[in-house]
Amino acid sequence: MKPNLGLVFFPAFDWMINQTHPERPERLLYTRDQIMEEGLFDVPEIREYRPVLAEIADLQRVHIGVPTIAKLITPAHLVSAGGCLAAADAVMQGEVKRAFALVRPPGHHAMRVVHGIRGFCVVNIEAIMVAYLRAKYGVRKIAVVDTDVHHGDGSEDIFYHDPDTLFISFHQDGRTLYPGTGFPKQAGSPAAMGMNINLPLLPGTGDEGIHRLFDGLIKPILDDFEPELIINSAGQDNHFSDPLASMQFTAQGYAQLADKLKADIAVLEGGYSVESALPYINTGIILAMAELPYGKVKEPDLMQVAEQRKECNARVDELISTISTLWKNRKNLSEAALAKCGASWSRHKDIYYDEEGISESQIETAHYCKDCKGFLTIATKAEQTRFGSQSAFIVSHDESLCAKCKTQIFDEALKAKKQGLWQYVFVQNRLSGIIETV
Amino acid sequence: MDKTDEVALMFLGVDVGGTFTDAVVVDNKRILKQVKVKTNSENVLQGILTALDRILENCELDLLERVVVSSTVVTNALIVGDTEEVFLAVMPGTGMDITNSFPVAPFIVEGYVNHHGKVTKNVELNYLAAQAQAKGKRVAAISGKFSVRNQSNEVALRQELSELDFEQFFLGSEMSGELNFVRRTNSAYFSAAIYQKYAHFIHQIVTSIRSRGINVPIHILKADGGTMPIEVALQHPVEAIFTGPAASVLGIEALSLPEGQAISLDVGGTTTDIAFWENGRPLLANKGARINGFPTTVRAYHMRSVPIGGDSLLQRQGDAYLVGPKRVDVAAALGGNKATLGDALIVLSVVSFGDIEKAKNALIKLCYDGEDHLVVAMRFVEVAVSVLEQTIKEMIQEWEVKPVYTVNDMISGTSFRPEILVGVGGGATGLVQRLALKMNLPVSVPPGAMVANAVGAALARPTLIGTLRADSQEGYYIIPEGGIREDLSCQATRSELEDILRSWLLSEAQRWHLPVAGVEVIACEEFTTIQNYYSIGKIVYLKMQLAPGIIYGVQGQEVSF
Repeated sequence: MKPNLGLVFFPAFDWMINQTHPERPERLLYTRDQIMEEGLFDVPEIREYRPVLAEIADLQRVHIGVPTIAKLITPAHLVSAGGCLAAADAVMQGEVKRAFALVRPPGHHAMRVVHGIRGFCVVNIEAIMVAYLRAKYGVRKIAVVDTDVHHGDGSEDIFYHDPDTLFISFHQDGRTLYPGTGFPKQAGSPAAMGMNINLPLLPGTGDEGIHRLFDGLIKPILDDFEPELIINSAGQDNHFSDPLASMQFTAQGYAQLADKLKADIAVLEGGYSVESALPYINTGIILAMAELPYGKVKEPDLMQVAEQRKECNARVDELISTISTLWKNRKNLSEAALAKCGASWSRHKDIYYDEEGISESQIETAHYCKDCKGFLTIATKAEQTRFGSQSAFIVSHDESLCAKCKTQIFDEALKAKKQGLWQYVFVQNRLSGIIETV
Repeated sequence: MDKTDEVALMFLGVDVGGTFTDAVVVDNKRILKQVKVKTNSENVLQGILTALDRILENCELDLLERVVVSSTVVTNALIVGDTEEVFLAVMPGTGMDITNSFPVAPFIVEGYVNHHGKVTKNVELNYLAAQAQAKGKRVAAISGKFSVRNQSNEVALRQELSELDFEQFFLGSEMSGELNFVRRTNSAYFSAAIYQKYAHFIHQIVTSIRSRGINVPIHILKADGGTMPIEVALQHPVEAIFTGPAASVLGIEALSLPEGQAISLDVGGTTTDIAFWENGRPLLANKGARINGFPTTVRAYHMRSVPIGGDSLLQRQGDAYLVGPKRVDVAAALGGNKATLGDALIVLSVVSFGDIEKAKNALIKLCYDGEDHLVVAMRFVEVAVSVLEQTIKEMIQEWEVKPVYTVNDMISGTSFRPEILVGVGGGATGLVQRLALKMNLPVSVPPGAMVANAVGAALARPTLIGTLRADSQEGYYIIPEGGIREDLSCQATRSELEDILRSWLLSEAQRWHLPVAGVEVIACEEFTTIQNYYSIGKIVYLKMQLAPGIIYGVQGQEVSF
């Protein structure tokens, strides 16, 4: 019998941002204790996997590190990214039905360009896995559902131009929580209009509201999109006991969500109620993904969960209505937006790296082409990185370029080089993960 | 006791095998005396006593230190299901549905301890329901989730059930200090299920040995290749399972100590036992053994028994060459009427015993028209070698999925790359050499001993494990194996906690008069606990043991007969 779930468990007991930081060695200690005590590794429905070490090229299919990604990561990042790759392999090679990379450090706040650590993340482990799935297995249509309480702004940044990746993030409203973004208006760049779905929820939303949102909106959209794979950025900080956020989700709520979502691969993201929430949420998600009964998973201090406020459902209903309309009209909207912007579309971003106090200013331009997928150029300047002020001009493309674009990317790179304004000029090949310095 | 002094000591070992019961006296690195008698599977004790009586004839045992018995009593009873009904009371609280996790349907009791070892729900027993369930049962097993962090709910439940006239209780938290509620529960259940039968057997052994004027400590061999005093064995009967393979590994350890990473293959008549070694020590499996498919806490070697041995029957089905799992009693070369793997090795001149002509004739019967019997014999050997190689590959994979918790573990790796094969047992020479050739590894075939298993049992060190978990936030430390839970001063350092656990192990060793070669730390974790960005305490987990192994090696040439 093929096990229902492949479980990659890597608690990184020797990795931390600092001793008292939410990302400290203790974070998955109680989760480890709970799943060991439950005996979850002994049931035939679950097979245990070790992470592999990801290669720098795996990271560079997604990221451009300034000065290099290798200088910005710790070995732990290669293991957590590698944990996702091991999970992907287990599923794609048919060894298990689905997989859960219960690993740290997390990744969903890491954007394409990396100057340092932000939102506890350096590299985006889901995005690295998506790129790997495309490069190694030729998977095209992928849905990423981010159930972390924080907006998955890194994933949004990376998938924003990709019409084949549907990114759905529900989170506590950015006006009340880090990173302060994640509003429905950010729906994707013109070529991928409607494929970036932000669902900001009111603080205090609980099981009722989140399931109302899932059943009324997320599930129908997923059914309509028909992805080849569903990936869950399984953050656990919507929990009522989380110290960083203000939601009212429970372990049962998470387990039921995992059961309904039936993600092919789930990846742990945030969740910092390390003693009162994580042991139970993870047990619930593991059981649900393994298709085992999870009805008995309950937090011993469940009494502390508060009743959901009335306004929460009203916000949910409003989102269901506006986003359903947007989803239905996305193709028309995309065509209109493309017609309006012409050959290229730019956005300006000011990005703050909370961990290191880095301020980055970025102009990203999508260059469209009728004959191929086109390419991106990114101009970035950052202050107060651990390497001082730094700047880079980046051309980012995948392999399937037409002859004209092939010439153009080198023209763009050389032009930038000649300008002399940039410390670094890089050309990124997103399929091979090779970054050339011009 | 000083290690160097131990060499001069005399030990008696008895090993009950499927066919023979062996007894051996070892003294000063050599075998003083050995006997081999037929095992009576209906009455194991009788074989043991016959072997004992024969070894005691004209043998001066004044210097004897200890008797170790390795028997199949527990293995047989549990595998065959010759057990008695157990009242199994569990307190699973939150989590996985455990309805089908145990050999019998459990009686579920309310009560919960959380991962910090805090009782979040006291025991709530429906006494009448328990009474009804317990009817006619003489033994009980009690197990609660996280009981190794706090035994009070298990103890309280035992107290509440004490009026129900059970002869013996087994608590999950006394089975192992490690996390895994399901495994502890199964161990407690199996211990209870064989308790009466086992206690009777132990009683008979003790009486018989004492009546023969032997008054030294009596130990029982365990699946992890260590011994335990009979008093301890009665508290953990399940640990005495699977001692046959354990004794075989100990036998190899007593005869030769492969350096680096090695694989041993003990090729018997029916099976080949494969074990992994690192720097002269056999490796224990990552997880406890399964009994009838149920995971337990029983530590056992990382080994597999493959149904391929010298007496394996050779068959052809169409294009397929089959080696085993059926066996025959007598090889063709020795007068049997069917070809065995041993016969194939004889015609290929890799081993020599019996009549080569008879072996050849049996092989010829397996040839299709025009085939050369040597080619056919070779094909059978190749098949056997492939099965062994495949099993080794699986065992390596199994070894390598061992969980990794730190970046350091991940980078330093725990891979197993065998550097040498060690072959022992009757069919080893030919088979293991072929396998070594295929795997491109050197091979060593130490001179075998007819009674290696009994030698291994005689010389095994006692194993004793203690786990300590200290949680300064909750203000306690616990050693579940000793039923100890004490207040913890928040300043206690890891090395002070190590001292506490070491003292406990040494006091247990003293209590049971165990020879101690040292105490080693086998696992250690230390975490700072944080609340609201402030460090509020420390969690330390320690696992330590008396150094395992054999007391002294026996020189190979002196034990080959």
